[in-house]
Amino acid sequence: MSFEPILTKYRHEKDSHTIDFYRGHGGYEQAKKAIHDWAPDDLIEEVKKSNLRGRGGAGFPTGVKWSFVPKQTDKPKYLAVNADESEPGTFKDRVIMETDPHLLLEGIMISCWAVGINTAYIYIRGEMVHGYNQLVSACKEAYAAGFLGKGIFGSDFELDVTVHRGAGAYICGEETGMLTSLEGERGQPKLKPPFPAIEGLFGCPTVVNNVETLANLPFILEKGADHFRSIGPEKSPGPKLFCVSGHVEKPGTYELPMGVNLLTLINEHCGGVWKGRKLKAVIPGGSSAHVLHADECDVNMDIESLAAGGSMLGSAGVIVMDETTDMVDALLNIMKFYHHESCGQCTPCREGTGWLEKIVHRLHQGRGRKEDLDVVFDVCDRMIGKTICVLADAAAFPAMSFIDKFRDEFLAKCTNSDRSTAQATSGAGGVNV
Amino acid sequence: MSDSGAGMVSWVLNGDPVESPAGMTILEAAKAHGAELPHFCYHPGLSIAGNCRICLVETNRSPKPAISCSERISDGLEVQTHSEKAVEAREGVMEFQLINHPLDCPVCDKAGECTLQDYSFDHGPDESRFVEKKNIRHTKDLGPTIKIWGNRCIVCTRCIRFCDEISGTGELCVVARGDRSVVDVFPGIPIDNPLAGNVVDICPVGALISKDFMFQSRVWNNEHTETVCGGCARGCNVTVETNEGFVKRLMPRENTDVNDWWMCDFGRYGWRYAHDDRRVSVPRRGAEAVETELEAHRDLGELVRGAWGGSKKVAIVVDPFLTCEEAHLVGRVAAGTGATVGGWLPPSGDELTFPGKFKISGEKCPNRRGVEAVLGQEVFGSQAKAVESMLNSGGVDLVIVFAGFPNADCPDALASAVGKATARVAFTLFDGAWSEAADLVLPSASVFEKEGTYVNEDGRLQRVRSKDRPGDAQLAQPGLHSASISSPWVTSELVALQRALVHVGDAERSLSAAGVFRQLADSNEHFKGQSHRGIPATGVPLGGLAPAGVGEGSES
Repeated sequence: MSFEPILTKYRHEKDSHTIDFYRGHGGYEQAKKAIHDWAPDDLIEEVKKSNLRGRGGAGFPTGVKWSFVPKQTDKPKYLAVNADESEPGTFKDRVIMETDPHLLLEGIMISCWAVGINTAYIYIRGEMVHGYNQLVSACKEAYAAGFLGKGIFGSDFELDVTVHRGAGAYICGEETGMLTSLEGERGQPKLKPPFPAIEGLFGCPTVVNNVETLANLPFILEKGADHFRSIGPEKSPGPKLFCVSGHVEKPGTYELPMGVNLLTLINEHCGGVWKGRKLKAVIPGGSSAHVLHADECDVNMDIESLAAGGSMLGSAGVIVMDETTDMVDALLNIMKFYHHESCGQCTPCREGTGWLEKIVHRLHQGRGRKEDLDVVFDVCDRMIGKTICVLADAAAFPAMSFIDKFRDEFLAKCTNSDRSTAQATSGAGGVNV
Repeated sequence: MSDSGAGMVSWVLNGDPVESPAGMTILEAAKAHGAELPHFCYHPGLSIAGNCRICLVETNRSPKPAISCSERISDGLEVQTHSEKAVEAREGVMEFQLINHPLDCPVCDKAGECTLQDYSFDHGPDESRFVEKKNIRHTKDLGPTIKIWGNRCIVCTRCIRFCDEISGTGELCVVARGDRSVVDVFPGIPIDNPLAGNVVDICPVGALISKDFMFQSRVWNNEHTETVCGGCARGCNVTVETNEGFVKRLMPRENTDVNDWWMCDFGRYGWRYAHDDRRVSVPRRGAEAVETELEAHRDLGELVRGAWGGSKKVAIVVDPFLTCEEAHLVGRVAAGTGATVGGWLPPSGDELTFPGKFKISGEKCPNRRGVEAVLGQEVFGSQAKAVESMLNSGGVDLVIVFAGFPNADCPDALASAVGKATARVAFTLFDGAWSEAADLVLPSASVFEKEGTYVNEDGRLQRVRSKDRPGDAQLAQPGLHSASISSPWVTSELVALQRALVHVGDAERSLSAAGVFRQLADSNEHFKGQSHRGIPATGVPLGGLAPAGVGEGSES
């Protein structure tokens, strides 16, 4: 059965980003329906029923997250839209924001109505200049049309949306890191509890949702929770954007039902591994996920199946590597990223990410020692689960899985046995000022 | 569990059921039960950051280890501080802390009082597995008094939180990310606030260094004296650290009723006057040094004896740096000679209150309230005026001036008035108009050389102590001349006044400060029931005096 895209239906249409186009294709009708016909609590129940799970990476049920926000509170409530899409290999929110920004705005309106929020912030990754421009002009159009601001659709509901650009830090995609950054502080994660739903932005109850998550809401309202659940597997249903990059013939963002088989995705939708080469490995959910060996790639792309397969769906950033890939090189690339992006707050992550990069760098240069691989595992062990946020885990997972699954390639780089030689020739990191 | 009282939580610490007040963190509650957990970023006076991760413990609440500084206790919580998981987590953090640390303890001022050293000893690895090059971070001045050795920084952010929450000045921040991150100031804005010195104290490693103390002494050679600061009427609790008789630095001492964990830079760096070359250290008759101190004290005694019984017109000018004990002795001299006693205060400064509630008093002397409690509420008010007009009208036979001011001049009018008396005695720290006019000049003791008690602006009685306890040592060997021994300390007013009273015959022998205090407690209602030994390290509110200002406030 062929699947009709839902979230990216109009991405290739001309002017799909304008309000006229959007309204011409039934846009804002669901937000209007929500405000006129749906009691907020019923709406939350409907989203719970749909079992829509967060598309940012953690896969937390959206309706449940909303229900954590206190109903009675003196404080204002906020929606913070996580559009800081920075996970290597991920470019799905960007497509929505660039080609269909009003879909996001409508999703924002529905979620704000459900939770009783009057102020929403969209925290967009600073590098996405086009997406930012599209969003800003979409907001202007929506304000002009009376869909944002006061008295929306003749009700007394009001909603303000502010688009805020990040300044280039991966860690600001972590929800509490994003909130501190929005508050004007150095973007670094906060201790939980308190969770954002209780004490988030500016100390007020805050819902943090991913762009793709919110973009699903108009569809859920239009067709009903039951229909939504009929798409994809029972436990993580709905349409899903998969970002495929690396050694495939046709890389790009593909909208498919959740649970599509990874090999189907690569071979049928993306035209297979490029240049007729063989598949070596796939990172299925952004660089933080465990790498899958080619043998393990017959797996369905949904939260449960990938967890059972020893990795995770994460942000659905699928990075495909062909047989010519140097896995040490690939890991070094990832380690450099996490070393560069660790905020430096927690000791295990601050020191561990740097240490890992230095070791892998040395291996890459052919100056490794056999015991280095054990040290890597030990360092990863000492990082996982010991920090405020999961960046340490995200750095440790690829390091462990790469070495675990491609140990021979790493061992081939371990030619040094002498500690002093390793030390004398180590150039990794060196002086960082 | 069932018998836990209101507000108490029953939990299990290393297998032992214990109870603690609700709302406490694991770290605080465990400490109260004798299990000290290591911590770098946690400080009782600051908000919780939870970033150093050294305080990880195993709990039954989560598969991940929990940070005890932020996790609160609850009924049924089970905490393991020494399980395999907890130990492994702690050792892991310790190894991470040390990989990029320069391990330059031999040249680091923090060595000996460094938590990184202590915890490395307890939880650190024997040998480093880190064979890579260490990171280099900046070493630079952050302000006029503070320097940072970035390589030593563990980015615990205590200093940053201090500047944000306590001083409210926010000069410090973390720059860069990951293992490049280090504490810095914003460009062109140095850390230069009145509480800046505290960031050095709370730095758990040797990253922030006080330029005043840099390379001055190894901390384990310092001798510690618990006393109070004499800089203002706040009476911050401090520890004076001395080495071979010289003050090396002042450190705040925890007292949540007065100064919490902090002290101001005026007090902290305000000790240099005590070792100033220009200080009056030898007694003089006019310009000529007296050979022994005993001789000078006999001179004083002779003058007092001449006036004993009320036959002469005597005026005594006191200062608010005298201890309560010294003021009591002044009172005895005044009673015997019928003297009029008045005093002057140093010029008042700005009163500063910081967001963290720390306060610097505008009254730049430590014991106005104590001297008033002993010599009368008007001693610095109407009595001072009385003394001045008495001196100006002439015919005063003997005037004794106490001018223990570290950095204030006496009013000119008073100095010229003093010159009009027939016999003039001045106790002073530095020479000034009053001592130039004096026939007999005696050295005043600085706050670092005094033994006794001060009463702060809140009416809190606190002990002042001196490392060398000149009072006691010299009382024990009355033949010694302080100038002839190598100690740089001078003999305090406490000794001089008692020797004079012994000379007069009013006292049998000289007593220690505690002995004089006993007389004071017997004779003064404010001090009734108190004794030196009974005063806790953090002082005690004095009956009828604390809290300050209530009387004045209710009148208006």
